[in-house]
Amino acid sequence: MIAFENLEVRYQAAPSPALRGLTLSLERGIVGLLGPNGAGKSTLLKALLGLLKPSGGSGTVLGVALGAPEAAKLRGRIGYMPEYDALIEDTSAYEQVAFWGELSGLAPEAARDRAHEVLYFVGLDESRYRAVSGYSTGMRQRVKLAQALVHSPELIFLDEPTNGLDPDGRRRMLDLVLRVHAELGTGVILASHLLADVERVADQLVILDQGEIKAAGSMAGLRRALARRVELRFLDPLDAAQEAALTELGTVLEARNGLYDLELTEADPGGAFSWAQAHGATLIQVTPRHDRLDEVLLRALHPALHPALPLAQNPAQPDSEPSINTAGTGR
Amino acid sequence: MPIYAPTLPPAPDLSQGHPPALVLLRFDLARLWRQKIGRFFGFVFTAILLIQTAWIYAKFLMQTNQTLRPLEEYSKGLFAQGADFQASLLNPTMYLLWFLVALVGGGLVARDSLYRVRPLMYAHPVAPQDYLLAKLGFASALPFAILLPFALLPWALSLALAGVHGPVWVTAPLRLLPAMAISSILMGSLAVGASSLASTPRAGIGWVLGLVLGAGTLTSMLHGLTGLRLFDGLNPVMLAEAWPQLLVGVQHPLVAWVPALLGTVFHIGLWTFVAASRTRPSEAVI
Repeated sequence: MIAFENLEVRYQAAPSPALRGLTLSLERGIVGLLGPNGAGKSTLLKALLGLLKPSGGSGTVLGVALGAPEAAKLRGRIGYMPEYDALIEDTSAYEQVAFWGELSGLAPEAARDRAHEVLYFVGLDESRYRAVSGYSTGMRQRVKLAQALVHSPELIFLDEPTNGLDPDGRRRMLDLVLRVHAELGTGVILASHLLADVERVADQLVILDQGEIKAAGSMAGLRRALARRVELRFLDPLDAAQEAALTELGTVLEARNGLYDLELTEADPGGAFSWAQAHGATLIQVTPRHDRLDEVLLRALHPALHPALPLAQNPAQPDSEPSINTAGTGR
Repeated sequence: MPIYAPTLPPAPDLSQGHPPALVLLRFDLARLWRQKIGRFFGFVFTAILLIQTAWIYAKFLMQTNQTLRPLEEYSKGLFAQGADFQASLLNPTMYLLWFLVALVGGGLVARDSLYRVRPLMYAHPVAPQDYLLAKLGFASALPFAILLPFALLPWALSLALAGVHGPVWVTAPLRLLPAMAISSILMGSLAVGASSLASTPRAGIGWVLGLVLGAGTLTSMLHGLTGLRLFDGLNPVMLAEAWPQLLVGVQHPLVAWVPALLGTVFHIGLWTFVAASRTRPSEAVI
C-alpha cells in the first residue's frame, strides 16, 4: 500500500528537516500513526498525498512514486480528512460533499447521488441540508469524513479524526473508521496523538517523534510483546543477590517496594514461581500488564527515562513486533 | 442518535467529471446566488437595463407618434449621435460594477483562506493553476455577464426598430464586446489579487475598494503634479471606462491608447502574479 525509504521532507524556511530518514513498508489495513503534537504526522500525510516534495529518499503510494507527475491523479484514489476545520460554513453538508465529489472526478449527477449515500453512511442523513455553521463538532467531523469517502478512495488519510469529540463522539467516529475498512475495504492511515484511539482501531502502528520513526510494527506483534510483560509481587523485598538473579527471568523494567515489572524471556509466566522457589523468595502475585500500551509509546519517545524492551529490530517489516528505533533519540 | 446506513456502495466512474476549474467556478456561482447580495445586485442591474432600453424605446415611440414622421427619418437623426453614444451604453453600470466586484470578488479567495478550504482542494486532483483559473474566471465573467445585456439589448432593440439606421451601430457589439472583456478581466484580476491578500472576506472587500480608490487618488495626484496623462493609465476605474471609448473610436477618450495598454497589462499582470503567489502552496509538487 505504502512504502518509503530514507524519506526526508524539508520545509523551505526550516533549518532542519521535518521528516528525516523514514523507512517503512505498510500493508493495506488500518495504520495508526502515533506521536505527540509536532511529531511530523501531518507532514508525513501531506508528503504521501503529494503535497510536499520529498527533499530526499523515495517512496510509493498505491504504486505511484512520490513526487511523480501522476501524483495529481493519485489524489483521486485517496481520501483526506484534515485535522483543521476545512468546511465551507455557509453551505450545507450535502452541497459540500457533492462539491468535493465533483472535484475528485465524479460527474455532477453522480456526485449528488453519492453525497446522499455517503452522508447516510456517516449518520448525517437527516441534517444534510442544513448549513454546517450550525453543526456540532461531532457532525462537522463526520462531514469531513464523508468528503474523504465520497469518491470511494482506495486509501484514506485521517488526521486527528477524534479532535474535539466527547467520549461518545469518539467512539462513534472510531466505529465509523472500523466500518470504512471492514465494509469498504479501504486502507486507512489514522494520525493521532491519542493512544487509545489508535489502539482501538489500528492493526499496524507507527510511532513518530521529531520527524523520525521511533517504533513501527503490527499491533498483534505489540500485543504479543506486551503479553510477556508482568508485574511480580513478593512477600518480602528481594535482597541484592535475588534481584541480580531476577534477570534470569527476563529484563527488569522497574523495581519498587517488592514489586518488579518484568519483560519475561518466555511467554509462560509460570516460570516465575519456579524461579522464586529456587531462589528462596515468596512470590505472592503475578499480574499481566497487557494494559500498558502507553508505556510502549513513552519508551519510544523517551528511551532514556523508560528502558527499551528487547523488541524486533527491523521497522520496515509491518508484521514484526514493534521495533524501537533508538538512533538519534539522544537529541 | 444518528441513523447509519447499512453500508456504502462503491462510487461510480471517476473519469466522467468536469474539469476542476469549471467545478470550482460553478460552486462559486451557486454560492453567490444563495447570498442576498447576489440576488440584490441581480435585481439592480436588471432594473437599470430595463430602464435604459425602455428609455430608448419610449423616445422612439414619442417621436414617431407625435410627428408621424417615417421611422427612417427619425433614425437618421439619431444616427448622428456617433461614437460617444455607443460607448455610453455601458457607462451606467461601471461604478456599480466596481462596487459589486469588490463585494463579491473581495471574498472570493479570502473566504477560502478563512475556512482553510484551499489546502483541502489541493488534496484533491486540483492544481493551483486550476484554482487560480476558476477564481479569475469567475471574477471576470461576473462583470462581463452583467455588461453583456447592456451592450446587446439596446443594439437588438435598435436593429429591430430601425434597422441599420438605428441609434446603435450595427457593428457596435463587435467593438463593445472586446472592450467589455478587457475591462472585465482587469476588474476580475484586481479583485482576486486583492482578495488573496486578505484573510477574511470583509478585509478582502476593503482591499479591493482601497486599491481601486487608492490607485485612482494616487494617479490623479501624479497627473496633477507632473501634468503627464500617462499616469491615468494606472487608474483602474478610468481604464475600465476607457476601453469601450477606445474601441468605438471616441474622439477624446479618458485614457489614450498607449497608457491604456500599458496600464491594463500592468494591472492584470501584477494582480494575477499576486494571486498566484498567495494561492500556491509553497511546497506543492504540482
